[in-house]
Amino acid sequence: MKRTTYALLVTSAALAVVAVVSCGRQPSTASKELEVACFKGGYGIDFFEQAAREYEQSHPGVKIKVWGNPRVWEQLRPRFVAGNPPDLTYPGWGMDHWALVYEGQVIPLDEYLDSPPYGKAEGKWRDTFEPSLLELCQYQGKTYMLPYFFSMLGWWYNKEMFEQNGWKPPRTWSELLELCEKIKAKGIAPITYQGIYPAYAVSGFLIPWAISAGGIEAFDNAQNLVPGAWKSPAFLKAAQMMDELRRRGYFQEGANGMDHTGAQMEFLSGRAAMIPCGTWLHSEMRNVMPKGFRMGFMLPPILDDGKGDPTAVGIGIEPWMVPTKGKNRDVAIDFYKYMTSLEKAKQFVEAKGTLMSIRGSDAANFPEHLKEPVDVFRNAKTVWSVEYRQWYPKLGKAVEDATAALLAGDITPQQFVERLEQAAEATRQDKNIPKHTYTRGKAR
Amino acid sequence: MTPRARAAFITGFLLPATTLYAVFVVMPVVQAFAFSLYRWRGISANRTFIGLENFRHLFADPIVWMALRHNLLLFVGTSTAILVVSLALAHAIGSDSRAARLLRSVYLFPQVISLVVVAILWMFILNPSFGILNAALKAVGLERWAIAWLGEKPTALASIGVAHVWHALGFYIMLFAAALRTIPPDVIEAATLDGAMGLTRLRYVTLPLLWAVLRIALVYMAIGTMNIFSLVFLMTQGGPDRATEVMLTYLYEQAFKHSEFGYATALAVVNFVLVMALSGAILALFRHNPQEGKA
Repeated sequence: MKRTTYALLVTSAALAVVAVVSCGRQPSTASKELEVACFKGGYGIDFFEQAAREYEQSHPGVKIKVWGNPRVWEQLRPRFVAGNPPDLTYPGWGMDHWALVYEGQVIPLDEYLDSPPYGKAEGKWRDTFEPSLLELCQYQGKTYMLPYFFSMLGWWYNKEMFEQNGWKPPRTWSELLELCEKIKAKGIAPITYQGIYPAYAVSGFLIPWAISAGGIEAFDNAQNLVPGAWKSPAFLKAAQMMDELRRRGYFQEGANGMDHTGAQMEFLSGRAAMIPCGTWLHSEMRNVMPKGFRMGFMLPPILDDGKGDPTAVGIGIEPWMVPTKGKNRDVAIDFYKYMTSLEKAKQFVEAKGTLMSIRGSDAANFPEHLKEPVDVFRNAKTVWSVEYRQWYPKLGKAVEDATAALLAGDITPQQFVERLEQAAEATRQDKNIPKHTYTRGKAR
Repeated sequence: MTPRARAAFITGFLLPATTLYAVFVVMPVVQAFAFSLYRWRGISANRTFIGLENFRHLFADPIVWMALRHNLLLFVGTSTAILVVSLALAHAIGSDSRAARLLRSVYLFPQVISLVVVAILWMFILNPSFGILNAALKAVGLERWAIAWLGEKPTALASIGVAHVWHALGFYIMLFAAALRTIPPDVIEAATLDGAMGLTRLRYVTLPLLWAVLRIALVYMAIGTMNIFSLVFLMTQGGPDRATEVMLTYLYEQAFKHSEFGYATALAVVNFVLVMALSGAILALFRHNPQEGKA
């Protein structure tokens, strides 16, 4: 048993390939049969299935098979290798999206984005998307992916606890320090975080504070691998802020050993007052949420004299794409146009309680916990997204490892930024890694 | 039965298993050796032949050495613990007391539950906020010891080791209990009459008679710790700051997160060779029973 398991592990990659090569040789069936493979996360795939049934009804002769599961990317990899991918896919966060682009496995969509939206005779489909989100899907001037819903990153606070104690969500660093002292005096941990997955601390502390200290350029330069950007005064300042919270004991004790559900449970149970997390928090935890629990959303408190835009907000998308070797490209795109029509977008917002990348869809009715995030997004003059983690996964990992070490007090803020710059330098020097450049407000 | 018919008969029985083994085990292993010579993202059929580049990179990669050290530490640490505890318990369940009967009915339990469940169970036990370990420490006044076991560099690997031992123990108790039963009672009786008691009897009588089983057990432990994956992946993700990174979690990271399938296969090949070498070394080192021929 053990040996078999071992052999399978050793060769899992190879095995998967062997297993699907045979599938790849099956003859393609009727030409109007569409296969849509989706990541099945917190929002399920029922909405996409429903859209497929509707589309089938208005398009006789088209059959759409929608399928998905929580680790769909593992099944999609061998399908791509075998040259037998689905017609349309939402491969989920576990897929290395850009590798698909580098390998020519997904098509550039600009030609279609310039055609009219679903059911319209004129106008451009492109203009129906939130432009700041569409920008994230581009490489060397072409658009390879399309956003659907998006998440916002920020901090959540326990509304009930704040109201009972007369606390206000802190907007600045000095307000934060003052509030943390009061919370701590009550025997409650001011801030908890998902220590085993340091990505939460990166997007919840490090990046917003680097932006606050150095302006959005500080982060854009870092993502663009400008030499020295990762050890700039802005990143050093952000690291010092994290270190200060740790030294003052404002982070929950033991948070460095908690996974995301563990830390989030601490927040829901009232043992911690604030937590950094995206707008998915509510749907992720709804099954274990105490009855009547109310949570409020806020941007991470900014430096009192910070250079950055105080309205800057972090967002994240999970894109869809059209495989090059799909058999029904035009139908796939038309179906996705249908899914992104304003009507469907509004339905998605109401059914799933999340924000959508389609302009005007925020006129839909949001659930209570999303009203604040929507306001924050409407007011935001600057939008940022953690792209380097997708572009350069190794750099992403190095930043997260260093963040874990910083939050554990194993390294100083100065050592921390040195490590980040070193990792950025390694990425710069690696000629096998394709490089991205992001110019704000323009197509890349 | 003629020798020929006999051979055909045996072949008939061996063929299905051998074929399955060849197709699903041997062939992929051979293919893995080939893939390790390419740069390959594992997402299309494009591959670039780069010879031994992956291996050159691998031997210069400090994380590989760090991961390997963690695997070996786990091997040494957990096998020592498993040997001591499982031998003692295997001996204990041989008696007929009420406690022994109870132990007999539960010792295999951790072994039969899924590793995912084992990981979750231990994450609960070690939870810094509501875990029973820290609660117990606080109850006896050892507040300072109540730490984030999986979040601190010095304790994370050891914590995973403990979960691994807890899970693996049942199998080795079973192995040793079965082996203990094969020792004829008159040998033990004779030794006792000769005045060999306790540790002396263990060292000069019991252990030598268990030698062959011990040898196999060590090989199993080596394979188990060199290929440890699920517990680390679920409990710490190789963190904090790679303090629990092992060969297979690093392999997974390279293949699925960094799309370095060629490099990941090279890691798999190296791990395969290392496991073979370690197993071979154990078998060779323990070939001769030190007590044999002494009597």
